[in-house]
Amino acid sequence: MHKYLLGAGALFGIAFGTWVAADANTDNTDDLPTLDSIQTRASMQQPKLTLPNELTVVPVIKPGEYFVPPKLEDLTESKYADEVRLGRNIFVHTQEYAKRYVGNGLNCSSCHLQEGRKPHAAPLWGAYPMYPMYRDKSRQVITFQERLQDCFRFSLNGMAPTLDSREIEALTVYAQWLSTGVPMGTIMAGRGFARIDKTEDPSPFNGAIIYKNYCASCHGDDMYGKKFTDRDGYMFPPLAGPDSYNKGAGMHKVKTCASFVKANMPLGKPFTLNDDQALEVCVHMFMQDRPWDPRKGMFMSIFMPVTEG
Amino acid sequence: MEDKSMLISRHAWLFMKYQNRNFAKQFTYIFVLLGLSVGILPISGCGKHADSDTRAAVAAGKLLAEKGHGTIPACIACHGNNGEGLDAAGYPRLAGLNATYIEKQLNDLARELPPAGVVIESVAKDYSKTPRIYSDLTVFSPGLRHDDVMSPIAKQLSKTDIHNIAAYYSSLPFQAKPVAADYEVLERGQDLALRGKPEYGLPACISCHAPNGEGFGTDFPPLAGQPAAYIVNQINKWQRGDRDNDNLGLMHAVADQLTDADKLNVAAYYANRSLIVNGK
Repeated sequence: MHKYLLGAGALFGIAFGTWVAADANTDNTDDLPTLDSIQTRASMQQPKLTLPNELTVVPVIKPGEYFVPPKLEDLTESKYADEVRLGRNIFVHTQEYAKRYVGNGLNCSSCHLQEGRKPHAAPLWGAYPMYPMYRDKSRQVITFQERLQDCFRFSLNGMAPTLDSREIEALTVYAQWLSTGVPMGTIMAGRGFARIDKTEDPSPFNGAIIYKNYCASCHGDDMYGKKFTDRDGYMFPPLAGPDSYNKGAGMHKVKTCASFVKANMPLGKPFTLNDDQALEVCVHMFMQDRPWDPRKGMFMSIFMPVTEG
Repeated sequence: MEDKSMLISRHAWLFMKYQNRNFAKQFTYIFVLLGLSVGILPISGCGKHADSDTRAAVAAGKLLAEKGHGTIPACIACHGNNGEGLDAAGYPRLAGLNATYIEKQLNDLARELPPAGVVIESVAKDYSKTPRIYSDLTVFSPGLRHDDVMSPIAKQLSKTDIHNIAAYYSSLPFQAKPVAADYEVLERGQDLALRGKPEYGLPACISCHAPNGEGFGTDFPPLAGQPAAYIVNQINKWQRGDRDNDNLGLMHAVADQLTDADKLNVAAYYANRSLIVNGK
């Protein structure tokens, strides 16, 4: 008897709980008059100009503030120069010169803008002198070459070249040449990306609007980038989808992505978005589909909560 | 630390919430599109109408370009018999340019320049779907471009004329005749075109105008195969404010940072490039 009572009680509890939960989930919009704020307020029907209430601080670039790497044209003929040129070719045309290690449609210079020279776009002259350094991601002191391997594995969604491969050697020489004159271990101005200060929780819905206004004309409405019409490859790199960086990449961190976006995008008008807007765009990007994290495997990537790169 | 972990959990939640919906959406799109295409193809006759429309537009555009109409002078008088432009006078080539780009430029040239000090009415960008954008509205210029020669002509063209001319010139083939230049000028021009000025935040030309300066899409016109004088003139116009019709004001920001030497070097570099555009 007690068994049946217990069963009946449990059934009643489940049914009642479901009913209460369903009731709590339903918003009673049908009972209340629906007021669209735009429709009811006539003054809002015309688009009108409002003054920006959050001003962005745009850094004024002073001559000599950022390091200027040597010019490619100034290289004299030597084996060193050949290696530098090969490294530059791999860096800029990664799809042609390092195709065997790349699994997506990106080049190194898709993120390290202007051939790895631009300040606040992770310039090579800011990175190379800092190695070997401790890295949280791999939890050990790594060399520059090992850092390059991680770029291939995560950001280029491919295979890590061995440390003695042609590609790693040439890229290292190129980075060394770009940082000619930089003292080892110096933290240079413009190193890495820009600093981000979050003031509010980023909203992916605002992010979608900002993406549509500022980013979609080049990277496409679906974020899949834009391909050349007459040949292979991307004119504007894909930010999501199978040809983009994977979930283990640094750009898959919302904060890293935002600090890149703030300082570099839209291309030619850096610091257009403020910190919160940049974060919002990046949350929108974070939510898109992209290749899985190679450290976790496909199964865990699908069924576990998504972690940042 | 606490902040960061909160951010991560929030993202994870958002992602799990939206991931499934995205998949479902994609599948729905695919099935709906498949059904529609199967249903519509036999009715529409596989797009023969669109093709004949384009051919008619090209023919009408060709007639207008060669003969002119009433007070509208013939295009070939300045832009060359095959739309190749005129180097000496700095008249641009039109052959092989994007049709939408030509159309937009003619519309912008025909638009009246507002008197100084008047606030320009913004162009609505699909506000029906994003009403909340009213609170922090970004104002986009409707596109202004002024030229003493071309603006009066563009004002006489009807919408159909503009469409036809754009269709005609975008269908023409083109082969550039590289102009010789001093190697130092070319070297400096190349440095600017391929690398820009990273220390000043000035992007490279190739990052938008395509690796060989052949132009890309509707927003980014070709630089290769354009007369050097035309490129210099346009950058000057951006600096003066006579031209303000670029996507997001990107070129406006770029032009503001170019020195006189930069303009000459990069224009010479692009006039020196070879380029072949196949006609349609």
